[in-house]
Amino acid sequence: MSGHLNVQHISKRFTVDGGPIEVLSDVSLSIRPGEFVSIVGPSGCGKSTLLRLLAGLDHGFDGTILHDGKPILGTSLDRGIVFQEPRLFPWANVRQNIGLGLQNAPLSAAQKAETIAAHIGLVGLQGFERAYPHQLSGGMAQRAAIARGLVNRPQILLLDEPFGALDAMTRGKMQVELQRIWAQEKITMVLVTHDVDEAVFLGDRVIVLAPRPGRISHIFEVAAQRPRLRTDEGLVRVRNEILLALEGQGPASASTGRPDRDLLARPAA
Amino acid sequence: MALDATGSEVARPVAICRGLALPLGLLLLWEVSSHSGLFNPQFLPPLEQVATTAWREWASGEMLSDLLISLRRDLSGFAIGTGFGVAVGLLLGLSPVFDRIFTPWFNGLKQIALLAWIPLISIWFGFDEAAKIVFVALAAAIPVILNTLEGIRLTSRKILEVGDVFKFNRRQLIALVYLPSALPSILTGLHLALIYSWLATIGAEYFMAAGQGIGGLVIAGRERFEMDLVLLGIVVLGLVGFVLDRLANWLEYRLIPWGRS
Amino acid sequence: MTSQWTIGSAIARNGPAVVRTGRLAQTVRWFRRGVVPWLWGLVFPAVLFPIWLAGSHWGWLPEQILPKPADVWGTLLEMLRSGELKAHTGISLLRVVSGFVMGTAAGLSLGAAMGLSRTTDDYVRPLFTAIAQVPALAWIPLAMLLLGIGETLKIVMIAVAACIPIAMNTRAGIRHVPREFVEVGDTFKFSAWQKLRLVVLPGAIPSIFTGLRYGLTHAWIALVSVELVASSEGLGYLLVWGRQMFWLDTVLVAMIVIGLIGFITDTLLAVIEQHLQRWRIDGA
Repeated sequence: MSGHLNVQHISKRFTVDGGPIEVLSDVSLSIRPGEFVSIVGPSGCGKSTLLRLLAGLDHGFDGTILHDGKPILGTSLDRGIVFQEPRLFPWANVRQNIGLGLQNAPLSAAQKAETIAAHIGLVGLQGFERAYPHQLSGGMAQRAAIARGLVNRPQILLLDEPFGALDAMTRGKMQVELQRIWAQEKITMVLVTHDVDEAVFLGDRVIVLAPRPGRISHIFEVAAQRPRLRTDEGLVRVRNEILLALEGQGPASASTGRPDRDLLARPAA
Repeated sequence: MALDATGSEVARPVAICRGLALPLGLLLLWEVSSHSGLFNPQFLPPLEQVATTAWREWASGEMLSDLLISLRRDLSGFAIGTGFGVAVGLLLGLSPVFDRIFTPWFNGLKQIALLAWIPLISIWFGFDEAAKIVFVALAAAIPVILNTLEGIRLTSRKILEVGDVFKFNRRQLIALVYLPSALPSILTGLHLALIYSWLATIGAEYFMAAGQGIGGLVIAGRERFEMDLVLLGIVVLGLVGFVLDRLANWLEYRLIPWGRS
Repeated sequence: MTSQWTIGSAIARNGPAVVRTGRLAQTVRWFRRGVVPWLWGLVFPAVLFPIWLAGSHWGWLPEQILPKPADVWGTLLEMLRSGELKAHTGISLLRVVSGFVMGTAAGLSLGAAMGLSRTTDDYVRPLFTAIAQVPALAWIPLAMLLLGIGETLKIVMIAVAACIPIAMNTRAGIRHVPREFVEVGDTFKFSAWQKLRLVVLPGAIPSIFTGLRYGLTHAWIALVSVELVASSEGLGYLLVWGRQMFWLDTVLVAMIVIGLIGFITDTLLAVIEQHLQRWRIDGA
């Protein structure tokens, strides 16, 4: 089965002004193929760092990360990534940007054209193939970035707070889109977010990280049915549990923007 | 302030009228003074005389041939200088080794005021056409190297990471990321090169005399104490500079269809 | 709390899991960052110099075009010792400073007038822009006809060359202070004088400073230009004299001094500009 990630006792340190800071400390995790894993935590808990290590963008850590049994030594076309900024090349239009992902893919030109068109359709950007990034809205640009992340048909897609820069309504729509794409493509997805609602809406499991040093504090299973309903009771319950867990880490760790009345009104099950 | 499509302020009718007041007033003053007999007509020729001189020069084809010679010098030097400049700029920007060896020296050399190079160049190359073109090429190369270098340096790290994710090799990084990313800066460099190469053409014609050209026209006018020739020459110099600048602006605007970030 | 994007350099981000902080490691780091760039910078002269030496020794090119390094060095020392270099440099510097000061005064007044008063701007700017199209250099023959070839010519040309960029940047700086900030002043019932002093001028300073930098560069260029045509002393004169006598070493010495002065003033102004950039309010 492909798309299996095995994180074994990862630690990473940075030096800041002379002293070492432990961003991740003995983090271990196993991600099943085809699973959707959400990672939440307050700023500084190392969630973005962890994602970058999974992508192979950063090095210099203790421990091992295995992708289908093989250690990760750098980036790979089998692990796609979507960043918080769309990072589209400003000088290329949508089709060319997505095509850039296929630069080193072993496909013929015709096959490339076909898969580019298919992915444009997948993210719903038909008609915008020739638009330049500066002509796109935030949501559309991120969709193009997602298409580019998927165009190589990677086994794993990593997403680093992909909807953080979007307004609330667009964010909601994009979450539904992402769920649809995941269901259709059936690949492993790892999403890093600070939005707890997003995490439970999309994930099969939610990993909660605590900061200083970065470590896993809780793992929650989200057993709700798919396609998800935001009002589903099970969903709301898990969400509240996660918020409580984050509260327990200290002030200013929970972030949904919703008042805490929910917490007081519904006791954790 | 209302702005038009290229970002320049749109003129209001009142402003246009006022703007013309001073120049027209000055021209009037000039005309009156030159006829008043208070000034030496050589220093303050009446406007009609300037006009007739202009017409004479134009009709005889002298003006046109001078203009074409100057322009040819300018554009030859510009082409050589910018070609060389882009190549060097790319080399310094993309190769850490060349950057470490040569960039400090280049930064030092660019501090020397442009015109200070003229004596050196005239010792090495003489006073003829080749020397003038070398000087113009030098003037063009400097801003191009600087801006190309900066364009490559400014390449977004975030975009480079995307290249890393898609396993771009060195050739792909250069062709697909560094070059397009540096293009706006390179064009800015070319724009500056256009301005400086015209400046250098004038300088070459003033200080490496011998040979025709608009600059030569001005120098001739000065030597013969013919103010009208001098004025005429200077007006033409200014006009050409203006037109070249506008042309460069328009080109820059057209060549970057993807909007500036 | 620190996120990975605020932490230091790429070295920190991608470095080893454990970073050594002992004395040896620190010395190695100092060596790598402080000394090595200098070593790289010496590669070029290290390769060029032997070629120069050989070439001049065996006369690959005539003496005037390729003087011996020893001769150049000798000339430099001679000029320093005899005080000749100091004298010429001093005269050039004096001219530049005088011209620059005058040009700054004129440029600041003109720029401020155009920036603050719509009326003045309407009347003056078109003519000013038209004149600005002609490079200061081009005016020299005209100025020579009118002012002769004395000191006045030089100072005036330098002043004019400096005045143009200073005026334009001052005007731009004043006009581009965002409306929003002026409106804040309005809500606090600032008088015109207060607005000028507390909002407009501070907001315009970065632009004004850029104008000063350009002005100095153009002043230098103007100095060299006039000294090339019409002078019997100064660094430009040294260049001309060297060229006429085919003394390349003299020309080189003068060029090096010009370059050095340019470098020092530019660096100084850049440092000051860095400090001023901290409060740019046009978001640049």
